[in-house]
Amino acid sequence: MRSTTRHMPLPAGSITKSLVSRDLAFVAAGFVALAIVMKMHWAIDFMIFCIFVLSYDLLYGYMGHLSFGHMLYFGAGAYGSAIWLAHVNANPFLAIMAGLFAGALLSSFLGLIALQTHGASFALINMAFNEIGFFLIHSALSDYTYGEDGLSCTAGKLFGFINFYNERHSFIFVLVLLLLVFWLLRTLTVSPFGVLVRSIKEDENRVKFLGYNTMTYKWITFVSASILAALAGGMFTMIQGFVSPITISPFGNVDVIFAVLIGGAGNLYGALIGGVAFMLIKNFLPVLIPELEKLVPFQVPQWEMWLGIVLLVTVFALRKGLVGFVRQKWQHRRQVGVVS
Amino acid sequence: MIETIAYGCTIGAILYFFSIGLAITFGTMHIINFAHGTVYALGAYLFVTFLSLMGGVFPLALAASIAAMLPVAYVIERFVIRRLYGESMDYAMIATYGVLLIGTELTKMVWGTTPQPINDPVGISLSLVGVYLSLYRIIVVASAIALFFALRAFFNRSVVGRIVVAALEDNEGVRCLGIDVNRYFSIVFVLGSSLAVLGGVLYAPISTVDPYMGFDILLLAFAVVIVGGMGNLNGTFFSALLLGMVMAITGRYWSQAAHAMVFMVMAIVLVKDSLFRTIRRLFGIRTA
Repeated sequence: MRSTTRHMPLPAGSITKSLVSRDLAFVAAGFVALAIVMKMHWAIDFMIFCIFVLSYDLLYGYMGHLSFGHMLYFGAGAYGSAIWLAHVNANPFLAIMAGLFAGALLSSFLGLIALQTHGASFALINMAFNEIGFFLIHSALSDYTYGEDGLSCTAGKLFGFINFYNERHSFIFVLVLLLLVFWLLRTLTVSPFGVLVRSIKEDENRVKFLGYNTMTYKWITFVSASILAALAGGMFTMIQGFVSPITISPFGNVDVIFAVLIGGAGNLYGALIGGVAFMLIKNFLPVLIPELEKLVPFQVPQWEMWLGIVLLVTVFALRKGLVGFVRQKWQHRRQVGVVS
Repeated sequence: MIETIAYGCTIGAILYFFSIGLAITFGTMHIINFAHGTVYALGAYLFVTFLSLMGGVFPLALAASIAAMLPVAYVIERFVIRRLYGESMDYAMIATYGVLLIGTELTKMVWGTTPQPINDPVGISLSLVGVYLSLYRIIVVASAIALFFALRAFFNRSVVGRIVVAALEDNEGVRCLGIDVNRYFSIVFVLGSSLAVLGGVLYAPISTVDPYMGFDILLLAFAVVIVGGMGNLNGTFFSALLLGMVMAITGRYWSQAAHAMVFMVMAIVLVKDSLFRTIRRLFGIRTA
């Protein structure tokens, strides 16, 4: 599908090493600050969600393929790891690899089918796969997944010293993973491959006319995005020690779509900020609202309503997300400064 | 087995009532309208209130709730859907989802979260070759069939209907004739919304009224719209019945698989073209 708005001018220009390390330092500092301000396990949850949002940003923000079924790969990673831990052995490295393998296998097969379609069909066929996956986990394979009750599992120490049940260890480990994913996507999206992927978003037919086999590029991007989602799922299993069918529920897809759009699609900072903003709305408002209700005499609407309002504002006022908005203001101020 | 078929027809009828509006917005504007779920659930809740106000007269409360939902549907169309016209699909989807969230929360604030059961308004069961069928369900199915023919007449005969069908085929062509397509779309949108209310009200005695009823039917209705051919109004009727039947028959043998089976059908329909193409290529069959 051709997008109506162009998020980033093409081509991107080169990226220097110092620029990347500056970005990484920013991200790291941001999450460490978040961990100091909030409880640390919340910061860990936020970072796992951010990895998931980054993976979705690659598929949707950069390649322009809206999917309602990305939770399937998160769930594949989560259940792949959990089933390995519960039924095979307690080695966390192998368990994460099992999750990644599950996500890769599933997406490389389903991607071949789903990528034959475009636009709304692509979004909805992924939703269909996700529904079927949910059914498999929830009912059909309940001998292994224990269905609705969920599956608890315990991981041993990773490489003999990283203990996932120690908050500091897991915080640092997830932060390193997040930085790794961020660095990977940062370099990937400005590479020639990334430029091609973004060109597919702008106009797939023109890329075809240039002689590229777009199917291959779309497939590689789809599988990479799914593997990164599976990584987020695997980390979720490691940290929580418990998975339930919620991790693969098709209703989770809207969360990640919102996170990307609130932050600004097609921008890695946007994905991180959107992920954090969404998690703040989801985790803090349910705590804040009962407090607020003690102060005011009327009933305060629940967080879902505020989320709904945020979504409407995003669509009608902040079309490019928070990051796009800030960038626009910034450029405007600079231009005004030059003139005066 | 007759019971299962009857159940499938009932579910199909409800799906048809709901999907018509969705198919119209999808076909005309390429908008995946999540707000349709709000209209459906809100209509059913208003019906619960009106039913107790009006002393339990079912048709009167039904008419009142449809009348009350008309302005709501118009507001959604005017201030959300129309502003998204010609935008990319994702923004339309997220904005209408926002409306769905707000609507659901409003329902929860006004009516609470407990599901509200409604009595069968007819209460007569017919005995047919040793199987008991409730008369109410037969009425639901019959009204769906009547609606199918009424809508056919509407879209083939009336001016409004013909303009909309023409615009579904070729939007710009109709606009070149100097017709304000958007006005007709909003008429049809409101029509589709009132049919969704009708569906919600008719489904209430079979199931219960709860705030999340809109979410549950939405995903199934997407499958109906896709299987019916994305905006094909006759196709929507048959695919609703087909998928209702798929749900009922699967549910009879394995109740948890009912939803998954519907999406299996939808996935097959979505990939059938490329599937055939691949098969043809594999076996070297040339198309003319």
